[in-house]
Amino acid sequence: MLSRLVFLSANAVKSSGPLGAGLVQLSHLHTSPNSQAPVPALPEKGGKTRHGIIPEELFQLLYPKTGVTGPYVLGAGLLTYILSKEIYIINHETFAAACMGTVIIYGVRKFGPDVAAFADKLNEEKVQKAQEVKDLAMTSLAQAIQDEKKEQWRAEGRQMLFDAKRNNVAMLLETNHRERVHMVTNEVKKRLDYQIALQTLHRRMEQEHMVNWVEKNVVTSITPQQEKASIAKCITDLKVLAKVQQAKTAK
Amino acid sequence: GIPLIALALTLPWILFPTPSTRWLNNRLITLQGWFINRFTQQLLLPLNLGGHKWAVLLTSLMLFLITLNMLGLLPYTFTPTTQLSLNMGLAVPLWLATVIIGMRNQPTAALGHLLPEGTPVPLIPVLIIIETISLFIRPLALGVRLTANLTAGHLLIQLIATAAFVLLPMMPTVAILTSIVLFLLTLLEIAVAMIQAYVFVLLLSLYL
Repeated sequence: MLSRLVFLSANAVKSSGPLGAGLVQLSHLHTSPNSQAPVPALPEKGGKTRHGIIPEELFQLLYPKTGVTGPYVLGAGLLTYILSKEIYIINHETFAAACMGTVIIYGVRKFGPDVAAFADKLNEEKVQKAQEVKDLAMTSLAQAIQDEKKEQWRAEGRQMLFDAKRNNVAMLLETNHRERVHMVTNEVKKRLDYQIALQTLHRRMEQEHMVNWVEKNVVTSITPQQEKASIAKCITDLKVLAKVQQAKTAK
Repeated sequence: GIPLIALALTLPWILFPTPSTRWLNNRLITLQGWFINRFTQQLLLPLNLGGHKWAVLLTSLMLFLITLNMLGLLPYTFTPTTQLSLNMGLAVPLWLATVIIGMRNQPTAALGHLLPEGTPVPLIPVLIIIETISLFIRPLALGVRLTANLTAGHLLIQLIATAAFVLLPMMPTVAILTSIVLFLLTLLEIAVAMIQAYVFVLLLSLYL
């Protein structure tokens, strides 16, 4: 159903609206099929028309000589001339033409903008699809660049990582080594301490044994006589000391 | 002195610019391209792969007939499709082509179409005759349908316009007649639908 409207409006749109003059002119540009590139750009909007049918250029052409009303007077004059000289006779077909014209103009006025918007939308969708592809490609490529840069940075960082790890391992080894050395010294010291203690004990026991033996011998060598003599001596010494002391205290 | 039918057959092609080398076109070409795409898509739906060969022919036929009929609505134009000769010249060869191709590729299936399924046995001879008659009448129907519809439409427009014109000195009747003419005109722009019917019936006869 849209088809007849499309055709109707397309017909009228072409001859009247956005692209009338431009289209006809463009169809003569590619006269030789080999000259295709670079393709000249299409005009954004079609030729300007006044009242939808008559191109604006006519008005511009006649303006210097006849002013604003020129083309209208021309049109009216032509019409009068044709009618009066009976070059164009008004007959039943005129009537049919009037009705057809009414229908066409009504159709174009009513559905024209919609159809034009539809055509523009078709083109827009095409462009948008391509644009989406392009945008997607661009974002994905930019993302890829970012990722690549990050990977490069990471690769640099890996060197540092390796160094740090190497250091760690070295430290661990060092610690281990030192622990072991420490353990070894401890063990050795323990052994040596043991030996020292053993020797000290040995010597002490010898000393004690010797002292005991000397004491025992001395005690056995003390005869009872000597014991009495020493006790008598002690008593006389004590007496002397007592006298001295009494003398001191009496002073 | 120039035979009008020649003019009427050749001039409408100006309306269809050749497919341009651009990717984004002006509105006219975009619209026409869209329309042709949709139409071909719809047309080829019921067909299998062998039927797709007819796509170009049928679409161009459709465009041809639409253009001819729509342009014929303008005053002082000649519509070629009002002539029986042209319509029969379109109908008979195309119909004959479908029949012959069907016969050539699958003779049994093509003949089998002459007999609908599930008919009671005694009716078979009569039905075969009836189906054959209907088969042979198809091109006649196609051509005459198009001719008659268009001629009738044009004739009505002419007559009513003449009547309205003659009655112009006497006012009121003219107003009513005007409205009738207008209405008839809008209906006549369903000449396009006629083309749909023509091509679609042609399509239906493709039991390829």
